[in-house]
Amino acid sequence: MDKTCIACGMPMNKPEEHASGDTAKAFCFHCAREDGSMRDYDEVLVGMTQFMVRSQGIDESAAKDAAAGMMAQLPAWKDR
Amino acid sequence: MATREEQKRRTRQRLIEVALERFAERGIGATRTVDVARAAGVAHGTVFAHFPTRDDLVTAVIEAFAEQLIGRLNELNDRGADVREVLAAHLEGLIEHEGLYAHLVTEGPMLPRGARTTMLAIQSVVSHHLYAAAEKGREAGELRPMPQHLLFNTWLGLIHHYLVNQELFAPNESALARHGGELLDHYMGLLAP
Repeated sequence: MDKTCIACGMPMNKPEEHASGDTAKAFCFHCAREDGSMRDYDEVLVGMTQFMVRSQGIDESAAKDAAAGMMAQLPAWKDR
Repeated sequence: MATREEQKRRTRQRLIEVALERFAERGIGATRTVDVARAAGVAHGTVFAHFPTRDDLVTAVIEAFAEQLIGRLNELNDRGADVREVLAAHLEGLIEHEGLYAHLVTEGPMLPRGARTTMLAIQSVVSHHLYAAAEKGREAGELRPMPQHLLFNTWLGLIHHYLVNQELFAPNESALARHGGELLDHYMGLLAP
């Protein structure tokens, strides 16, 4: 398996880490909406920003900047 | 005979290993891409064929260093490891690449943007695993509650102080190998209810 979420970069080593537990899905459960579709850019950006703020206590705008930098490298948003 | 793809993969791997060694010994900012190319025995242009920018190379080195560490923390989290086990694995992973990690800490603000972002992402994942273990300890009444960022920053502040001042705490040896056990004991004491 060993795939990486195309939307947030999280490694997906287990089936349950894929959206809906479906290993054919290229995005993770964090990046899935309730209906199973992939979250859009702004939704993922908010999620990643909040993760960094919560985990390290860094300033929200600095975290958002870093999250945007990470997302720019990911397949889902590369051509955005 | 190795296929072209396989050869390419090996060269990339070799460049990452050589760059990691150089960064650990001499620092990240002080290592030129031409030094990496020479040490790897390839033409300077080969480095850029694999890593279009210097930032890409630095980021690839950080990812290589972090891969094992994060993998180990993921495993520990899966089997419900406690805080002491998580932090012992964190120390072990850092000791293995202490030269590189110390430079990542001291040169942090000067690192290229992609490398800084990658480091931030890695630290968030470490914090996430530490907090998951701490929450179990708190629920069991074994640890006192602490906000996630302070739980992580308190630990990181402690070990980074020893890394940055390695020559004072452990001249010519690993600061974390020498003091890690004491720091871990002290930190666990801070978390006691």
